[in-house]
Amino acid sequence: MTAKIAIRNLDFFYGSHQALRGVTLDFPERQVTALIGPSGCGKSTLLRCLNRMYDLYPGQRATGEAMMDGMNIIGPGVDVDLLRSRIGMVFQRPTPFPMSVRENIAFGVRLHERPSRAEMEERVEWALTRAALWDEVKDRLAAPATGLSGGQQQRLCIARTIAVKPEVILLDEPTSALDPISTLKVEELIDELKRDFTIAMVTHNMQQAARVADQVAFFYLGEMVEVADAGTMFTAPREKRTQDYITGRFG
Amino acid sequence: MSGAVARGGMSAGSPAREAARLARMRRRRAWSVAGWVLCGIGFGMLGLAMGWILLMVLVRGITALTPTVFLEVTQGTGGGLLNAIEGTLVIGVGSMILAVPFGVAAGLYAAQFSHTMFARAIRFMADVLVGVPSIVLGYFGYVTMVEGLGWKFSLAAACITIAILCLPYICRTTELALSQVPAAMQEAAFALGAGEGLVAWRIALPVAMPGVLTGILLAFAISVGETAPLIYTAGWSSYMWNGALVGSPVGYLTYAIWAFINEPFASANALAYAAAFLVTVIVLLISVTARLVLLRREGAR
Amino acid sequence: MSFRRVLAVFAGVLPASLIAVLLFLAVYSWPAVRFNGIGFVTSTSWNLGNTYGSPILRNGVQVLPGAHYGILFLIAGTLLSTVIALLIAVPVGVGAAIFLAEAVPGWMRQWLSFFVELLAAVPSVVFGLWGYAVLVPLLGHFIYPAMGHVLGFIPFLGGSTGSGYGLLTAGIVLSLMIVPLIAATLRDAILAEPMVVRESAAALGATRFEAVWKVVLPGVRKILIGVTILATGRALGETMAVLMVSGNALNYLPPNIYSPISTMAAFIVSQLDSALQDPTGLAVRSLAEVALVLSVISIGVNTLARLVLYRSGLKAGQV
Repeated sequence: MTAKIAIRNLDFFYGSHQALRGVTLDFPERQVTALIGPSGCGKSTLLRCLNRMYDLYPGQRATGEAMMDGMNIIGPGVDVDLLRSRIGMVFQRPTPFPMSVRENIAFGVRLHERPSRAEMEERVEWALTRAALWDEVKDRLAAPATGLSGGQQQRLCIARTIAVKPEVILLDEPTSALDPISTLKVEELIDELKRDFTIAMVTHNMQQAARVADQVAFFYLGEMVEVADAGTMFTAPREKRTQDYITGRFG
Repeated sequence: MSGAVARGGMSAGSPAREAARLARMRRRRAWSVAGWVLCGIGFGMLGLAMGWILLMVLVRGITALTPTVFLEVTQGTGGGLLNAIEGTLVIGVGSMILAVPFGVAAGLYAAQFSHTMFARAIRFMADVLVGVPSIVLGYFGYVTMVEGLGWKFSLAAACITIAILCLPYICRTTELALSQVPAAMQEAAFALGAGEGLVAWRIALPVAMPGVLTGILLAFAISVGETAPLIYTAGWSSYMWNGALVGSPVGYLTYAIWAFINEPFASANALAYAAAFLVTVIVLLISVTARLVLLRREGAR
Repeated sequence: MSFRRVLAVFAGVLPASLIAVLLFLAVYSWPAVRFNGIGFVTSTSWNLGNTYGSPILRNGVQVLPGAHYGILFLIAGTLLSTVIALLIAVPVGVGAAIFLAEAVPGWMRQWLSFFVELLAAVPSVVFGLWGYAVLVPLLGHFIYPAMGHVLGFIPFLGGSTGSGYGLLTAGIVLSLMIVPLIAATLRDAILAEPMVVRESAAALGATRFEAVWKVVLPGVRKILIGVTILATGRALGETMAVLMVSGNALNYLPPNIYSPISTMAAFIVSQLDSALQDPTGLAVRSLAEVALVLSVISIGVNTLARLVLYRSGLKAGQV
């Protein structure tokens, strides 16, 4: 299995506080990698390294290597805005933009392309269909996106992300603010999306990781403790700390 | 299904697509830089105007500021501003004496009984009253008190008019300060059997006092800086205030700015700048003080 | 009496004052309203009549022969100067707000914001003084002649460029007085938008400016609209600064933007002395009618602004 992104010896700092230490991890292409671990272990931080989200904040920096197609994501000279068009991200809480459903999708597309009206319509439908949302919103494309339910809003955010046609999608606890039924829908969606996209997701939910992930990485106190395919991870973890965490002894 | 990604355009990661996106990115980045520059220019214009106004007032004001300004009354188009300084302070203090009890009471009522119809009416009316131009209040004062009641241009007419002007500001800041008093604190007092009055006087108002005082201070600054309503109610006098509430006009600083800058004499213009300096310094000092009080409160929380 | 009753009596002074002011203006100006009719707002002629003639009875009101009151020119001056002020103040205010909220580091933001807020505290008459002593000569001698020369082919920008006192000068001074309100309110609104909104836009590849301009700003548009209307109310009722730079034109509609104008608020101040010459008192009552019209417009605009701001979730007393 080829690695879409290969991380080598990544360190991350919030000012003088080191949040990640020497992380080495591969994200296999067109697979779901789940990052698990207790709060504050650095798993979200790792996700935010991959699309350089930390660039928005002065004082945060990463060192080491994160190679994607021969380019070091965290190195100097990377066009960060272009990088983010290749690596999309969905956040913990749905963040619909203050505009219509259609405009929410079109916003990202229009940043990078100049599609005709018809092309844009087609793209909107395509993205919403892929996000399993089309049937629910096709009659209210012009309505404000903030009027959708929480679960619909989160799928809209996923649709908005895939509309840009990225290669990698980062999901930061995408279901933690959703009800069980919406959660199930999003999980099915993730399973479907991995046919086209490489997916990295942070989750607090062990069952979710077991259900959707191909590969699972366990983080603890800023270090990557263990990585294995999902079956091995949840049945026969190598490390004691991993076992304690997944059996619920801490965290 | 992976073919679907390619639909409607070039496939992800293809060199042609990346090149197109890069070209577009360059243009977008240029626009973004232009956007930041324009925003900076917007702020720059604001800062420039502010600096220019302050500089003019300070430079021309300080050169016009002689001991005479503080020691003598106005004589024709020269002399000093002692009468106007005194008048401004007397009008400011007088209108605060009138406005504070009623304004604080209105704010107290609006905050403590916030869901009653009357509280809603007070809030709405306060907002409407803020919207009434000050010159309209001045005209009202002229027609009712100066003419109607025969008070002539007088301290009483001026103070009542300015008091009405300041009422909504005091009311609103009082309400805002009270609304930040923790509900639990008041509920604890109620649980001990304290009545509405006791809770309002002994708990809510003392806790909110810095905010209330800030509002009063800002209202005082407004009374110092007002001109239009005073032209119609206080008139103008070159003499010191004679202690009378009605029947005789009162001088004040803002009138000196407006009237003396139009005179063709250098001595008069100097007085206008001196008055502008005094008014601006008083108002800005009050604003800075009020701001620092608020900042310290926020820092303490 | 209970505490609540006593408090209500004191608190009632505020509503009572407002009602007294409006009611009194309406009652006092009633003879003028009757005499002037609708022509008051549709014609341009403020004429006291022959102050040496003996009063005659018309429409049941004692008037001087030849008296006619029409304030269309004041309404035009008020609205036009306000529109010009908004055209300048809204873009400048939005730019300054974005700059303060997004482009400067936190410690610097506090000081720069403070500086902007100080501008809001400067009294109107000081703006007027600056306009009179600095801006009018500068514009009248240098800028306006140049503008008329270069931009003269555009309607309302050509023709006599006048002395510097006039519509555009009044609009510029007014805009400076309302920009701080717009900038400070919008800055707080932008800062209150959660960081994740900017991150979401950035995650799609938007530049920092695109995130602010296309996502954060639309999110606070209701506050921008509300505060713009509020600023409109301020500009409509502003008196001293306009009085000192507008040229105080009487009975004429401005042919271009350099032309002298007068506004309703400034007119009330500048015309009182002459209105007192009318022994029938109709001129003073007509001035009261000007005040009444101005109040109705200002209150309407202000109420609209409050409605928009309440609905945008901004708490009372924050503006």
